[in-house]
Amino acid sequence: MDQPCEEKFDNQDHLKIELPEDIRKLLDTLGEPEERVRVALATDMSAEGVYGEQWLLIDPCALRVFTSENGSSSQRISIQLDKIDDAQIEQCVGNGLLNVSIDGKPQVLLHFSNELTERFALVATYLRHRKENDKLPDFKSDGKRCVACGRRLLDPSMKVCPSCIKREQVLNRLLQLARPYWGVGLIQILLMTAGLGVDLLPPYLTRTLIDQVLTTNAHRDWLIWLVGALLGLQIIRVGLTIGTNVLTNRISTQFTTGVREKMFKHLGTLSLDFFDRNDIGRLLTRINQDTEELQGLINQMASFVLYIMLIIGIGFVLFSMDPTLGLCVLIPAPFVFIATFFYQKYMRPYWRRFWNARWRLNSMLNTFLSGIQVVKAFAQEGQEEDRYHDRNHKVLEARLRVDQAWGKFFPIISFAFGAGGLIIWYAGGHAVLDHRISLGTLMAFLSYLGMFYGPLSSLAQLSQTWNRFTTIAQRTFEFLDETPMVLETAHPVLRPSVEGRIEFDHVSFGYDPYFPVLKDVSFTIQPGEMVGIVGSSGAGKTTLVNMISRFYDANHGSVQIDDVDVRDVPMEELRKNIGVVLQTPFLFRGTLAQNIAYAKPDAPLDEIIRSAKAANAHDFIINMPEGYDTIVGEGGAGLSGGERQRISIARAILLNPKILILDEATSSVDTETERQIQKALEILVKGRTTIAIAHRLSTLYNANRIIALERGRVIEIGTPEQLVEQKGVFYKLVQMQTQFARLDGVVPL
Amino acid sequence: MTIATTALKLSTSVIPAELHDEAEQSFEAVYLDPTQINFRYEGENLTLTMPDGSYFPRVTLRRCFPLSTNGMYVTVRTPDTEQDRGIEIGIINGIEKLTPESLGALSGELKLHYFVPVIKKVYKVYEEYGFITWKVLTDRGDKEFTMRDNVISTTRQISTTRWLLIDINQARYEINDDGTLDDRSRSLMIRHLLL
Repeated sequence: MDQPCEEKFDNQDHLKIELPEDIRKLLDTLGEPEERVRVALATDMSAEGVYGEQWLLIDPCALRVFTSENGSSSQRISIQLDKIDDAQIEQCVGNGLLNVSIDGKPQVLLHFSNELTERFALVATYLRHRKENDKLPDFKSDGKRCVACGRRLLDPSMKVCPSCIKREQVLNRLLQLARPYWGVGLIQILLMTAGLGVDLLPPYLTRTLIDQVLTTNAHRDWLIWLVGALLGLQIIRVGLTIGTNVLTNRISTQFTTGVREKMFKHLGTLSLDFFDRNDIGRLLTRINQDTEELQGLINQMASFVLYIMLIIGIGFVLFSMDPTLGLCVLIPAPFVFIATFFYQKYMRPYWRRFWNARWRLNSMLNTFLSGIQVVKAFAQEGQEEDRYHDRNHKVLEARLRVDQAWGKFFPIISFAFGAGGLIIWYAGGHAVLDHRISLGTLMAFLSYLGMFYGPLSSLAQLSQTWNRFTTIAQRTFEFLDETPMVLETAHPVLRPSVEGRIEFDHVSFGYDPYFPVLKDVSFTIQPGEMVGIVGSSGAGKTTLVNMISRFYDANHGSVQIDDVDVRDVPMEELRKNIGVVLQTPFLFRGTLAQNIAYAKPDAPLDEIIRSAKAANAHDFIINMPEGYDTIVGEGGAGLSGGERQRISIARAILLNPKILILDEATSSVDTETERQIQKALEILVKGRTTIAIAHRLSTLYNANRIIALERGRVIEIGTPEQLVEQKGVFYKLVQMQTQFARLDGVVPL
Repeated sequence: MTIATTALKLSTSVIPAELHDEAEQSFEAVYLDPTQINFRYEGENLTLTMPDGSYFPRVTLRRCFPLSTNGMYVTVRTPDTEQDRGIEIGIINGIEKLTPESLGALSGELKLHYFVPVIKKVYKVYEEYGFITWKVLTDRGDKEFTMRDNVISTTRQISTTRWLLIDINQARYEINDDGTLDDRSRSLMIRHLLL
């Protein structure tokens, strides 16, 4: 060792990985004791870019890379830790690489497949911050792992893997959730049992009919009564079926409506980080599709219960009528079961192929219709026609394959069902001829048989349905169990009024803590001051303002308003004092008045008019036939971009907040509209602390100070004049925009 | 002084010429002469020496058309850093014209950057809980991977005989049904990819 290095680690935080024999031997020959190794991570890629193994070993002094091939290993890289000034991972395609910089020069260490990205990201973070913080990260925390078995989750939106779901517990919880419906459920079960009885009776009656009336002619007068009884049973059956169906549907619909409402309510309590992690599509699936599927599955599970009761009931009757013949019935049962099972397995891919083809065809049509103007403008109707033709033929092909497969399978299934009947005909025929049973009994047997195999084949799907049912229920529960990251404080600090002083004190934050978006940000904004934030996209501007509203909490440092940490202020209180105008204004479906008074639904009408006037929106509103009562569509359909923006400014004015955040409030509108919005904003910012993010510098033309951000750090702060003199980022921005303005002819040459 | 007036003032005095050039340059693709440049590995770094002798201690490569062309349109860039996105040094059109040593180094780097194993044989496939797990032999060794069974979003058809599978880690695998696949592998593929 040319440099002595401190051994300030304790042995507790080793990553316990069993080193292979050849690596151990190599360490031994290099004179490195194995106990000194703090981190030992294996990659799954060799240096030549094939699946293989390389080892990254870090001891208190050095970092080494060993290759291991066919049981022999060699050292590829050895670097003194103190020489490393930076480390990062780089994403390639299907893999990533770990890269360190030594005296400012890059040095690639090794590649690893995507599976290991998080793990090596932790190494990079550790190497980067080693000098300030020598604590090893928890390498087991890479990616989301199943809380039950610890394996990496295939579906990261769940907490446990499907095979670890405790299905009984899930069912138990579902039953608890369904407590209000227990009474109706009980009636349902009684109806089902009654229905079962009604189902089992007719063959008994027909037996009597055949044996006592038709073959012996002893009780001719019974005929009318027996047929009447059969008719009565059928009528009762109809009634019972209607009753059960109504009840089943009512229970499942009401239950899932309740669950959906619970989910929606829960959605509102979750903090923004949850919505970052879960895209809208997935949440829509959870709330709409999952509950709908749950409803279908509840119905299906109810029919399974009925089938099981039916099979047990029929089995019992058959065996009590004639045990030997009862056994014969069971002979084809396994075939029915297996045939159905294979049918599922064999036919499903054909159906899925057909559905996919149809989906592709529909989506093509959808794209064509929404892009019709482009198609026509470029005269590409022919190309689109060919494309549609191709896809349409794929659908045809897929459908034909379904039908052919079904055509092959159906006779086999029918045979499996029919074979049971033949066995009964043969064995039962002998029994009748030997006078062991009557003809009526045989006929009853055959009728029961028809009722027996149907439910039996349905039961072949039980395990699949059961798995799906519990998985969806589990997913729903996990969603309901999700706790917000940004939590309400237990000891809130209440203040009579807010002045609007904002302070960032060494704030660092990352949506993923290992990839910080804001790095050690510090500044103070005085009450009433207007501060502009500039920087390229991805610099962290929006993240910065989101910290003020406490949409996220800082990983390090604190954000304070009037010297109180935002985490100590009740959330509602905090957000009441902050007005936000976003780049793309969002209007809800409802009247303009409702939209303006969104944050204060009980606002008097004169206040609404005053805000609209201040926002320069009053004039266009009253010129609409329905004035303030005009209904706007989802997202503000029917209004222009500038009009929508002015409504959202009116909304902020009505709230009368002490702090105002303008996030690119004018960047998506034309110059004339911007001028109008600008006028509205001038009124709005008076007497408030304002933070404005802007690409267009014209938005900031009366800012007191400018903060320039770059890659999450504050790199410039000062008055516009100071920053222009500094000739830094802001200066460059001013220059560029002047250039563009000149190209536009706005600024004379 | 407000920004608008600052901007106005500045506009009369500053440097339009170079900014103009810079803007124009960025629209024009620069092609590198493959016979005049040299790639070499130094440790794990791919280095580049330009015809004028300028030297890059590390460059990275990107294929403009990773699926449709092989040796054409490979761009050479400086690596991205925390502070800056890398810049494009130039595009090589036709890597086969490089010197053999350069070609070797460049091919090695492309192989590392584009880790897209080509499936040669399918041992086993099973579907469970909405996921398809494949056990395969690829041109880069044996591999077991899992993808979602929603093949519309996880499978992409490149040509009539080529498909790209994307697994849950966004890793990509290629299947090329050019007659080299055995019957069993092909039928498993057709069955599970719903081809």
